[in-house]
Amino acid sequence: MTALSVRDLKVHFPAGKGKVVHAVDGVSFDIPEGTAFGLVGESGSGKTTAALACARLVEATAGEVRLGETDITTLAGDAMRRARRDIQVVFQDPYASLNPRERVGAIVRRPLDLMKVGTPAEREARVDELFATVGLRPDQKALFPHQFSGGQRQRIGIARALATHPKLIVCDEPVSALDVAIQAQILNLLARLKAEMGLSYLFISHDLAVVQHLCDRIAVMYLGQIVETGSRREIFTSPLHPYTMALISAVPSPETGLAGSERIRLQGDPPSPIAPPPGCRFAGRCTFATDHCRKVAPVLTATGGNHAVACHRAQDAEVAAARNALVQGAPSG
Amino acid sequence: MSAPLLSVRDLEISFRLGTEETAVVRDLSFDLGEGETLGIVGESGCGKSITALSLLGLVPNPPGRVSAGQILFQGQDLVGASEEQLNRIRGNEISMVFQEPMTSLNPVYTVGEQIAETARVHFGSSRAEAWDRAIEMLKLVGIPSPEQRAHNFPHQLSGGMRQRVMIAIALVCEPKILIADEPTTALDVTVQAQIFDLFRELQDKIGAAIILITHDIGVVAQMTNRVMVMYAGRKIEEGPVSGFIRDPRHPYTRGLISCIPRLSMSPSDMPDPLFEIPGVVPAPRELGAPGCAFAPRCPHAMQRCRVQDPALSRIGEGRAVACWLEEEVAA
Repeated sequence: MTALSVRDLKVHFPAGKGKVVHAVDGVSFDIPEGTAFGLVGESGSGKTTAALACARLVEATAGEVRLGETDITTLAGDAMRRARRDIQVVFQDPYASLNPRERVGAIVRRPLDLMKVGTPAEREARVDELFATVGLRPDQKALFPHQFSGGQRQRIGIARALATHPKLIVCDEPVSALDVAIQAQILNLLARLKAEMGLSYLFISHDLAVVQHLCDRIAVMYLGQIVETGSRREIFTSPLHPYTMALISAVPSPETGLAGSERIRLQGDPPSPIAPPPGCRFAGRCTFATDHCRKVAPVLTATGGNHAVACHRAQDAEVAAARNALVQGAPSG
Repeated sequence: MSAPLLSVRDLEISFRLGTEETAVVRDLSFDLGEGETLGIVGESGCGKSITALSLLGLVPNPPGRVSAGQILFQGQDLVGASEEQLNRIRGNEISMVFQEPMTSLNPVYTVGEQIAETARVHFGSSRAEAWDRAIEMLKLVGIPSPEQRAHNFPHQLSGGMRQRVMIAIALVCEPKILIADEPTTALDVTVQAQIFDLFRELQDKIGAAIILITHDIGVVAQMTNRVMVMYAGRKIEEGPVSGFIRDPRHPYTRGLISCIPRLSMSPSDMPDPLFEIPGVVPAPRELGAPGCAFAPRCPHAMQRCRVQDPALSRIGEGRAVACWLEEEVAA
């Protein structure tokens, strides 16, 4: 079964003077039930906008977002509210995403109240259960958000997201605001919940190591489009797109020490999403770009397994050599 | 060995919390040599940033103050130095790049003016000279078409570009020491890599010593020569970076290194759970209790750890650690 199926999703924002920001520009992916799907890319790649559109916190300009059988982009009123039981969000900033004037027990109970799930007594019991699930004590329900640390607040955000027994949770950079030691606690919690409850995640992060740790499948976004997608193993044992390779090689690793010589360097900044260049959007920063790349946009093409890439040159010897250097030069295990 | 460029001796920084004064940094001593890169690591709330601020005489007073110790820069003690003396050193000799490129620039001046201002104040350059210097600096930090970009306001630049502007401001006067407090935390990995390339180039070019505050062990491994680990306001481990990565000795250091997910080029289908350091950093008002501050979170804590604070002891060439386990091993 597929928990979420996204087809040709577009999110465009007006930028004044008739200009349009192509934040998400034709994105398709499926999230099988019980799996975590990671969207990675630099800031401005459209990963957060795509995820918010999947939860319908941003309206899609075009395309389909199927949650189970239902296309939620066309739902209205009460039908949309009911659909929200199945898709919940954990936000990036645990300081800004909890109401400072509400007790945390009430924050976690709020989705149940709004969706009228069970009797009030059942809701209270559910809140106790949720607190225990995320590693908080039920007697902490009466406290306010400021009385908790960042990691504990993110646990509260996760408890709130779990309240209505959702099928899919959108996690928007859920650990990037946390300290390293606390990150590990929250990542382990998310992995445990996924295994125990069969949850699916749409997981947004700019941290490749975090995505690799938690996600079964990964899509790499660049300027509103998916440039490569595949299983965890496919993406990291054989990254096909030069942008994926550049991202991987930019991650500083404790083992490689003062590396950098074999790094695949990117030139400059991404182009403007208001007037994306014709041809491949990455061509302007790509070491391997040819005139063909600058003129004709490559399409996402399956290469076997779950792996697909949008690059004219992915299979060329020059790119393959850089890939081998990257994969073999890096530590294994 | 010649005298170090910077020598911090028994530094103590205290903050007034209500009626009581608590030391948030205690017994901190370290040296920084010319051209060296020192990494300071630890979780938030361990005293890294306030230590950095103290080197520039920027501890907010009140409620804070440097309550003991010396900060010797080329032999001159910066503790108790006059504002005038400090102003000669800030920017000229020691400068700082802050974590947040979004909030550290003035939104109502162009970036060119902000760089030029530094040149005018410190060199007494004319407006035209300072403007030329600003453009030169923008070029140095790798900003394309610097003549146009100098006329941009901060909001017109990306995060990576803003951080480069911050670095340009910090480097206008070619300081001897550059303090970078989590300079790339808000940035993408690709931009981070560019910023660090820039640091290395500048170090080669002007020979600055760098103090790099970070919680990213990968960054430490790539950028620094020597590492100092802080916990609850104290130095708990120090040594050359290679030993720090390969053979961390303090349980906190080991925890910090093993709790981060590592990028692997041959990932397994079912990753093991990450190592967790349970609990959180103690709050300032919990400091000063007897025993090792890390004991409540330490998997190896013994009876002795809860009553007696271990002192920093040498464990080999340039390495030191503050942990009772070392004595157990030695015995």
